[in-house]
Amino acid sequence: MRLKLLYLLRNLLRNPRRSLLTCAAVGLPVMIYVLSMSVVDGVERFLDNSMTQLRLAVTQKTSIINPLPAGYRKKIAALDPSSQRIIAVCGMSWIGGRIEGDPRPLSTLAVDRDAFISAFPEFQLSEDEQAAWMRDRRAIILGRSTARQFGWQVGDRITLIPSLPPYSPMEFHVISTAEKATDPSTNWCHHAYWDEIKKQSGYPAEIVGFLFIKCATRQDMDYYRVAIDDFFANYSDATKTQDEKAFMNEFITQQFNLPRNLSILSAVTVFVAIMAAGNTMSMNFRDRFSELATMKALGFGRWTLFSQVQGESLLLCLLGGAVGAFVPYWAFNYSPLRNFTVPLIQQLEVTMVVCLQALLISAGVGVIAAAWPAIQAWRLSVVTALRNQE
Amino acid sequence: MVSIDIELHDVRKVYYKSTLAIPVLEGIDLQIAAGEFVVFMGPSGSGKSTLLHLLGGLDQPTSGSIRIGADYLEQMSETELTRWRSHHVGFIFQMYHLVPVLTAAENVELPLLLFELSSRERRQRVELALSVVGLAERMEHRPSQLSGGQEQRVAIARAIVTDPDLILADEPTGDLDAKTSTEILELLQLLNRDFGKTILMVTHDPKAASYGRRILHLEKGILHRDETNQPIHTSR
Ligand SMILES: Nc1ncnc2c1ncn2[C@@H]1O[C@H](COP(=O)(O)OP(=O)(O)OP(=O)(O)O)[C@@H](O)[C@H]1O
Ligand SMILES: [Mg+2]
Repeated sequence: MRLKLLYLLRNLLRNPRRSLLTCAAVGLPVMIYVLSMSVVDGVERFLDNSMTQLRLAVTQKTSIINPLPAGYRKKIAALDPSSQRIIAVCGMSWIGGRIEGDPRPLSTLAVDRDAFISAFPEFQLSEDEQAAWMRDRRAIILGRSTARQFGWQVGDRITLIPSLPPYSPMEFHVISTAEKATDPSTNWCHHAYWDEIKKQSGYPAEIVGFLFIKCATRQDMDYYRVAIDDFFANYSDATKTQDEKAFMNEFITQQFNLPRNLSILSAVTVFVAIMAAGNTMSMNFRDRFSELATMKALGFGRWTLFSQVQGESLLLCLLGGAVGAFVPYWAFNYSPLRNFTVPLIQQLEVTMVVCLQALLISAGVGVIAAAWPAIQAWRLSVVTALRNQE
Repeated sequence: MVSIDIELHDVRKVYYKSTLAIPVLEGIDLQIAAGEFVVFMGPSGSGKSTLLHLLGGLDQPTSGSIRIGADYLEQMSETELTRWRSHHVGFIFQMYHLVPVLTAAENVELPLLLFELSSRERRQRVELALSVVGLAERMEHRPSQLSGGQEQRVAIARAIVTDPDLILADEPTGDLDAKTSTEILELLQLLNRDFGKTILMVTHDPKAASYGRRILHLEKGILHRDETNQPIHTSR
């Protein structure tokens, strides 16, 4: 059947204000859906990654802000003399950072040069990047959203002021913008450089914030989670070892039950969209059954009328959905809003996948919203419709 | 050219309001030859529209038989009837029922979309139909930009564009002034006389009825009187 797209478009323009309102009624909930799903996705990605990376986080037992002795690196490595089960022990210290004359805070971690490469394979650094990282003690890997936010590129020299004593400026050479990293905003530099800066001002350099242990298998992880804490049990600095996922999970659920609350919010908004669009569709077609009846009298079948109604609703809802999905997509990828930060996952990544999901949902909303008028069109009796007209 | 004739045998139509049966047509027997111009008259509620709807395959009789050409309408499924209508019948309604968002040409083209025709063929047919009704100049106008008489002429063009054998008109001049009515009726007469279309028209207006060659009077669902008329001859 030749259902002309032209005719569909003309019908949408028949009552532009009503069409616009329907578009908005679908578009706004879709936008909320896209935004909350992006947050949920960010959290999920974060957790998924930590789960697959087989890493343990070792912190000081009483508080994460208490540092550990630097020598713990060797002691932990020594727990596996073969180096078959513990792949890498990576010391880390959070040094925060900001740039002169700019209040925006940065998140920078000082990490062990060699261990970082093997402990964080998900960064997928190129050979050139790896070589630069190994060669240059002032190398820094920027989080990609941080790089965009500050307009930094590979090859730039930047000066950061650490957020911890001695607060002396540190010069860095940007060697990568970590396009593959899970966390798009954290920067990574050499622990040795940080140690050097502290030593210069007489601050203790034999400490490390916490340690990330990369294990070979899940069994190894389970084993060392217990073994490390047992080993250090009688030291003055006892340890608390968790896998990365448990660590993050605990953190997230303690803070707020974000994913679940956002999923409920999304469901509610989609429901609202259906109600709003459904209402307009019924109004829209209530005035038009005599027109549909005429088409039926001319010989158009019930399928044609059914798809005419569905088609209009689908088109309208897809239009609204496209706006609702691609405005945030554009905003969070190409406009100044891309620097907007969200707690925990930092930068909000609105992916094409979420947008396509949202379009699919809009289509669903369109189908459901027009279900009743479409069924009425399907069952339409020409005689009754024409008689009601007169 | 026209071969269709019509034969109704004991056609009854009963409507049901919950359990209450409302008989509307109470046994119609009727024969109409191909190429006739038949007018149905009768008081309001006598069943004229109902009969016309049955003849056009818009509804099914409760009992009885309606043969149009070789087809028995009461034996057809709804899908078959829908298809049959697109091939054999053109409808003209009192309220025109044009699609407001389409131009005159697009409205006329609408029933052609049911046929396998190239857009050029469709265009040619639309132009022909609109020139027959004298609206070749108004192809791109929307219904809202046309007068009532012009709208009805577009509706007539739409009814003839598929070249049906049968044209059904339910009070086609009911909403028009005397002068415009005359134009429409002359047009129907032309279609009957020069194009050989069988025309079945319902009207209340004796003047409109005088254009027909045969006038059937309906009363309370029964054919009351069947008279032959010497139709007004137009200047055409
Ligand atoms: N769907 C229906 N349900 C119940 N009664 C109906 C239905 N359709 C028609 N009727 C009744 O059938 C009778 C005949 O209706 P019809 O429209 O055929 O009359 P008509 O002769 O065309 O009248 P008018 O001149 O007013 O158009 C009327 O009494 C009407 O109320
Ligand atoms: Mg009537």
